[in-house]
Amino acid sequence: MESFFTRYRNFLVLLALLLAQIIGLAVQVRRTEAGRSTLDPRDAAGVRLIRLWADALVTPPELLFHGSRQNAANLWQNYLDLRHVSQQNQDLQKDIDRMRLEQAELLEDAREGTRLEALMGFQQRYVYKTLAAQVIGSSGSDSSRVFYIDKGSADGLTRDMAVMTPDGIVGKVRDVFPHTAQVLAINDPTSGAGVILETTRIRGILRGNAQGRLQVVGILADERIRPGEKVLTAGGDLIFPRGLPAGVVQGVAPDPDRDSFIDVIVKPAAHLDQLDEVLVITSTEPRFPAQQQQDMNTSEALKGAAAEAIEEQEKASQIMAERLPGLTDPNAPAANAKPGQTALPGQNQAGQGQAAPATALVPPVPKLLPTMHSDRFTPAADNPQPSDAQTSGSAVQRAKPASKPQSKPRLPGAAQPASSGRNP
Amino acid sequence: MAILGASYSRDMGIRRYPLLVYGLVPLTALVLQAWLPRVLWGQAWFDLPLVVTIYFALVRRSPVQGAVMGASMGIFQDALTHLAIGVNGIVKTVAGFLAGSVGGRIDVENRTIRLLLTFLLSLLSSAVYVLIYHILLGMDLKSSWLTEMVKAVANSAIAMVLFPLLDRLQIRE
Repeated sequence: MESFFTRYRNFLVLLALLLAQIIGLAVQVRRTEAGRSTLDPRDAAGVRLIRLWADALVTPPELLFHGSRQNAANLWQNYLDLRHVSQQNQDLQKDIDRMRLEQAELLEDAREGTRLEALMGFQQRYVYKTLAAQVIGSSGSDSSRVFYIDKGSADGLTRDMAVMTPDGIVGKVRDVFPHTAQVLAINDPTSGAGVILETTRIRGILRGNAQGRLQVVGILADERIRPGEKVLTAGGDLIFPRGLPAGVVQGVAPDPDRDSFIDVIVKPAAHLDQLDEVLVITSTEPRFPAQQQQDMNTSEALKGAAAEAIEEQEKASQIMAERLPGLTDPNAPAANAKPGQTALPGQNQAGQGQAAPATALVPPVPKLLPTMHSDRFTPAADNPQPSDAQTSGSAVQRAKPASKPQSKPRLPGAAQPASSGRNP
Repeated sequence: MAILGASYSRDMGIRRYPLLVYGLVPLTALVLQAWLPRVLWGQAWFDLPLVVTIYFALVRRSPVQGAVMGASMGIFQDALTHLAIGVNGIVKTVAGFLAGSVGGRIDVENRTIRLLLTFLLSLLSSAVYVLIYHILLGMDLKSSWLTEMVKAVANSAIAMVLFPLLDRLQIRE
């Protein structure tokens, strides 16, 4: 027996290694209901452990390479950028201040829109919080279009978060490690994103083919699909928010597997082959950062102060209008007053305001008390001013019997004679 | 025993390397394989772990060592992808085993033989890779033989530069 193992040692070791790996493969692959083999999207504990080890082994040197390359490239550029940087900084700061206020106003509108949509029962998802990350490595294989970023679970990343650039979507987080994460690019054959063609509103699934080209699959042949049409995310996959650019239609090819179906070839909106920095959408809930919230509060306070100032102005002008002599005759009876009854400003507003709105619109003019001690500056009612003589003549005539000065001031009323003089 | 081992190695023409080389060179190959496609427009037209596996299997002239190193490198390479772990492991196990077996029978100092072996083993690896996907896993894998040929040529070109460099790291008696 010993000689058997010694003699066939090499082959036995080879068989043992192959058998172990084949069993490992069998554990990872499962059959679908359609009878096709597929990989389990969720790694088993043992498989995840191996991936964790590989990541821990390869990532630190990758970060070192990445940092060295970037530092070398940026060294000269940084020197050039330093020139005139102070003036540029001041200008940019001013722009930022202005844009922050503008952004606060826009955010207020967005918040209002979100609230209204929530009221109407929409479940649209919004991009509100992203995390910038740098691409540090790839899988190193053409058959696996994944790449690694320098942010992980310690930075709040979780599985299935959408990854994008300002140009368009890039992929989704497939696996998360403590300080790195593996991102599955949208041009991988196992990837998938729900998309919609902008003009024709045709929906499909965006994924990559074996050559890494993007295509929308599962579409019935349609002549309306033209090159140049934009492809946007549909939002139905619960990963990518709705309306993000995915690419542009390049052409149409017949589906090799199914008749009457076509594959829409798409040029990706993001540069998938030259990714340096990406944004991970960490939250799609309508939450605002503290700075934006503060800006919104400032904006609201400014708006409140402006409204208050306008109100004060209106009040002041009203008071001024009350104090200044009006062009209308204060002693003239109201338009709809009964004969023999003089309308009072207070009565007009309170008692007849509803019945005679036209009267209520006349600005109230204060009535002056009759002169009790006349002098040359304030002539008595018996000597009316020429200007007032015609208007208050009848009232003066009625007030003549009470020639003696009254002991206490009387309220201006219907029976009280109007005075043309000035009350000191 | 150590003397015997050293004498046996010398007689058989088996090269020996510092322990650090066995750790650092495969690790560097794995890191570069993951990092270089980023700066080469996303294309991985080479397989550095395979080249390193072939080299150590050839110069050590040991099928077992070649198979173990190939399995380790392949499993780590698979772990960096999102695909099943073991496909590259099997491929490189076979490649390492064959390289170690051939290394004991031919003159591995000859550069032409080295290049030819690297080219053939690269093609064989691609074939095994496709076979595993189609037969063992029953999954679709669309591959182009032209691409695999380009990859084999690239691996041979890398081997032409890398093998003399690694030769310098061996322990001289």
